[in-house]
Amino acid sequence: MLASQLMTPALELKKSLNQPITALALSEADAKALAALGADHAVFLQSAGKWVDGFAEAIFTQVSKAAASIVLIGGTLRGKTIAAYVAAKMNAGMTTDAMTLKVANGKLQATRVLYAGLAMCEEDVVLPAVATIRPRTFLAPPAAAIPGTVETVAVETDARVTLGAVSPNGDTGVDITTAGKLIAVGRGFRKKEDLKLAEDLAAVLKAELACSRGVAEDEHWLPIARYVGISGQTVKPDLYLAVGLSGQVQHMVGCRESKVIVAVNTDERAPIFEAADYGVVGDLYEVLPLLTAALRK
Amino acid sequence: MPKCLVCYKWTLDEQDIKIKPEDLSLDASRAKGKISDFDRNAIEEAALLVEKNGGAVDALTYGTATVKQSLKDALSRGPAKVYWIADASAESADAAVTANVLAAAIRKIGPYDLILCGEGSSDMFNQQTAARLAALLGIPCLTFLQKLSGEGAVVSATRKLEDGTEEVSVTGPVVVSVLSEINKPRIPTMKQVLGASKKPNEEIKIADLGLKPEDLVPKATRSTVKGFVMQRKNVMFKESSAADNVAKLKAGLASEGLI
Repeated sequence: MLASQLMTPALELKKSLNQPITALALSEADAKALAALGADHAVFLQSAGKWVDGFAEAIFTQVSKAAASIVLIGGTLRGKTIAAYVAAKMNAGMTTDAMTLKVANGKLQATRVLYAGLAMCEEDVVLPAVATIRPRTFLAPPAAAIPGTVETVAVETDARVTLGAVSPNGDTGVDITTAGKLIAVGRGFRKKEDLKLAEDLAAVLKAELACSRGVAEDEHWLPIARYVGISGQTVKPDLYLAVGLSGQVQHMVGCRESKVIVAVNTDERAPIFEAADYGVVGDLYEVLPLLTAALRK
Repeated sequence: MPKCLVCYKWTLDEQDIKIKPEDLSLDASRAKGKISDFDRNAIEEAALLVEKNGGAVDALTYGTATVKQSLKDALSRGPAKVYWIADASAESADAAVTANVLAAAIRKIGPYDLILCGEGSSDMFNQQTAARLAALLGIPCLTFLQKLSGEGAVVSATRKLEDGTEEVSVTGPVVVSVLSEINKPRIPTMKQVLGASKKPNEEIKIADLGLKPEDLVPKATRSTVKGFVMQRKNVMFKESSAADNVAKLKAGLASEGLI
């Protein structure tokens, strides 16, 4: 649960502010889990309404009730929507997708990405402040010595929006974020069937496949769950092998904390090479089979 | 058909921004202005709705004096009129200030049934404007749309979220934010570019928006902007024989303990 990960920065901020942590959840189980991780007070917001975004007003009411100095919300698309709504109602500033957070000089000091990954900056927000945090920025903390209290509150959700059909992506069982090794494929591959070259290499390396935005969203050769980039997954594997992928900032921001980055590309001036520890200038159609064979030995 | 307003931002093209190697600061001196990428999708979506259902769409933008460079571009993409606010406050405006200004402008020039935004600006990508506007205007918001339609008073949309899609609809005024995949923005034709100069634009002065001074003070301020530069080994294998390159790569992977 993403909110579990948010408990880690929350516990740090609690030390600085010396204020209790209130956790808001949309299920009783989640509320109990957050109390067990150190939330002083966990609240289960209970409603007949099913649209998650429809809880924004109710969440604002709870935030006001708790007189929160800092509000942390998971940086999913829904989370960011709700966070910005709550920030506006609070007349507060908000930092989107904070990578680090601390309190300094009475402000929330966060670091974040700018210009699609080209730059980083520090962003100071006066209190009270809202911050969203992307999945896997933090790990969940260990269980607290004394769990907090749990309360159930009945709330109304936004009746103005009608929720229609919900179509889940379908659990492909793929989670590239836990893979130790990834082979990322780009549009240097000419057709879907050619991805087999990468699959063969992945089998030998015991790696998972990942891909660029174009391969997932434009070509639909691989599911979205495998797409690495600013609007996709962020990964930190031991090995990130980018094949036929140019390496633009929007992609690299999703994999730049990989331990070792390797690139295979025909274009010596592709930006991926500046971001790589090891680079092979060559045709993937030639290099991949040779590499697969060499690694089998 | 809904009366539409599309909000857009005039940004610096991040592709033109360079990182100065000596101190990693950003050099934007060569950066040209552009209508933020996702806002172009919002303008296009509004234009498509109007072409389908009739009516007209207005555009609204808030920026520094440079915002005047955007007017013809915006008008060539479909809107019938563009409202613009050029003010020094935009230089340091955060999402809170931006939303305060836009909401105040909308209260002045509206009401609108459908307000469109891009999912985020291509420079800061705060992704806050649409939801903030909805909160300030007291109307619902539907964000991250891959599909949008307006039939009479009902706005229906498909949101694309991490775990799948959901269909949502609203009767009555609404703010939406659109994804880049919702459409492919047109490249304005010569006729549309020439037609743009005949369309009206109207300046709105900040002083006429009835804002309190604190509404223009940013709550979030940026500092220490540094280019992100990867420190990588940059070992290149460029032999003419692919087999040689592969052998060297294999040795490199072994030295890293990866195989």
